[in-house]
Amino acid sequence: MIYTEDKFQLVDKKRHNRYKYRGQTTAYLMLLPAFVLLSIFVILPLILAIIRSFQDYNTKAFVGFSNYVYLFEMDTLFYKSFLTALLMTTIISVILLVISFGFALVLKAMDNKFGKLVKVLIYVPFFISGIIASVIFNLIFNYGGGLISSICVLLDKDPISFTNDTTLAYISIIVPTIWLGFGYNTLVMYAGLINIPEDYYQAANVDGANWFQKLWFITIPNMRNYIVLLVINMVTGYMQMMEIPMMMTGGGPLNTTLTPVLYLFNSFRDPSRPDNVTIAGAILIMIFIMAVNIFVFKTIKTRRSEDV
Amino acid sequence: MNKRKVIKTLILSLICLIVVAIILFPIIWMLPAAFKGKVEIWALPNTWLPKVFKFDNFEKIFSDNLMNDISFVSSLGATSLVSVIAVVCSLIVNMFAAYVFANFEFRGKNFLWYYFLITMFIPGITILLTSIRVVSVLKMTDTIAVLIIPGLVSAYNIFFFRQFYFGIPRSLEEAAIIDGCSRFRIFFKVFLPMSVTPMVIIGVSVFMGYWNSFMWPTLTIVNNSAIAQVMQVIRQLNSTYSGEYGVVIAATLISILIPLTLFTIFQKKIIAGIAISGLK
Repeated sequence: MIYTEDKFQLVDKKRHNRYKYRGQTTAYLMLLPAFVLLSIFVILPLILAIIRSFQDYNTKAFVGFSNYVYLFEMDTLFYKSFLTALLMTTIISVILLVISFGFALVLKAMDNKFGKLVKVLIYVPFFISGIIASVIFNLIFNYGGGLISSICVLLDKDPISFTNDTTLAYISIIVPTIWLGFGYNTLVMYAGLINIPEDYYQAANVDGANWFQKLWFITIPNMRNYIVLLVINMVTGYMQMMEIPMMMTGGGPLNTTLTPVLYLFNSFRDPSRPDNVTIAGAILIMIFIMAVNIFVFKTIKTRRSEDV
Repeated sequence: MNKRKVIKTLILSLICLIVVAIILFPIIWMLPAAFKGKVEIWALPNTWLPKVFKFDNFEKIFSDNLMNDISFVSSLGATSLVSVIAVVCSLIVNMFAAYVFANFEFRGKNFLWYYFLITMFIPGITILLTSIRVVSVLKMTDTIAVLIIPGLVSAYNIFFFRQFYFGIPRSLEEAAIIDGCSRFRIFFKVFLPMSVTPMVIIGVSVFMGYWNSFMWPTLTIVNNSAIAQVMQVIRQLNSTYSGEYGVVIAATLISILIPLTLFTIFQKKIIAGIAISGLK
């Protein structure tokens, strides 16, 4: 549109088109590498996955939705792992949203050099992988010689095993995950906070609004886009959690902390678990993640039109 | 009023201190463990500092008899190589695509844009098994190519660069076209020099993604331990040396040095980048 000029449009449509689409060959050539890579390594595997989810694993015959049905009837472990991931995602996302928003408020009020340093320091865990975080937290949660067990022994109590009890196993997964995500979430929240025009607060002050009213009626509504970004990131990421559960609990006790990706990872090249059923499950997870994304996007869109 | 302000700053500083302490605590707690011997590392009750600082663990991870056919040093080399090549290739490919979507008009542009965009919403788990099938058909398994190529294109990164290119004034490009510069050269002469900041932000995040990747290398590098990746090796150390855990900690420490150095160098740009990426 930028390249259109009125005289071209009026005098000669063809010439205009040539002008508008100039460099078309260059465009296709520069787009080619990304297009080819995306097609081979994302789109093609997706199409194959969809096809395979409707096929029988052994005979390759099309069997309709029976893989999907099997998932809910027989293969309870995958279904259970999906519910586990859902529960973990909910717990972690809610905790992270609350604490990162709270701390972003603190950071905004700390408008000095120390505040800047704090921002850098809390971001450090973002550069650490789930594998490394698990190694680090093993020194804290380990039954024989971890920090928590040591404290228990010093207090004349029995050491705590975090892998034998479902609740404790959850904690040993949730804590490192929150530790990894806290810095990023806080800084995104902070970016949202400093983008709210100061006039809004001044106007509220004139009206005599208290701290809580300002938070509820100005800050939170204006943070909507940032919260949406974070929720989408978290749901997409945590539904696919794998490294920390694998390292901390190995999915135990009794598969109560098994996540879908860990299930997939374990069942890879395992002939007793039919691939195609797992693929059907993975497609359901994709649909779930997409549905959450669309729902969250839609919510802000309608809210926005209300504003206008 | 002034007194109230001082108290407020004090309380806020205290909260900040506590939060920073909690965040840094696991790392600080870990540091001396790399110097602990077999007995001390899982002593109950445990202590923060070892009685004697030993360097045995570091000697061990740099020695040849660490694990059967796996060397930690070679995994550091292999991972660095993979990550650096991936950063360069990924920047080129994604910036090309972003430049085209931001500055060109061509037939099928809308379709292609959505074609790229939907890939943002396809989770890795959905295409994991079939991707492995694709790379094995392409005979890429156990090669360095399988580590680098499949993850290069990211619709998110293209989106990020495209937003940035929208901010570059059209007049610059128009002037270059009038001077007879080809669109391809304009990219290198005008757009590339101007996009140092997004290149650093995306470059570091791509590097981190490759450096920290675990599942993909584990499933695709099976019979070629020469190019095993750092996270793969650490996970194996974690199970092999669960008793002599100081060895694992020592390897962990070394493996986070490179990312942390990168972060220290580029921290200003990275922190500024979060503010940009939040805007949509």
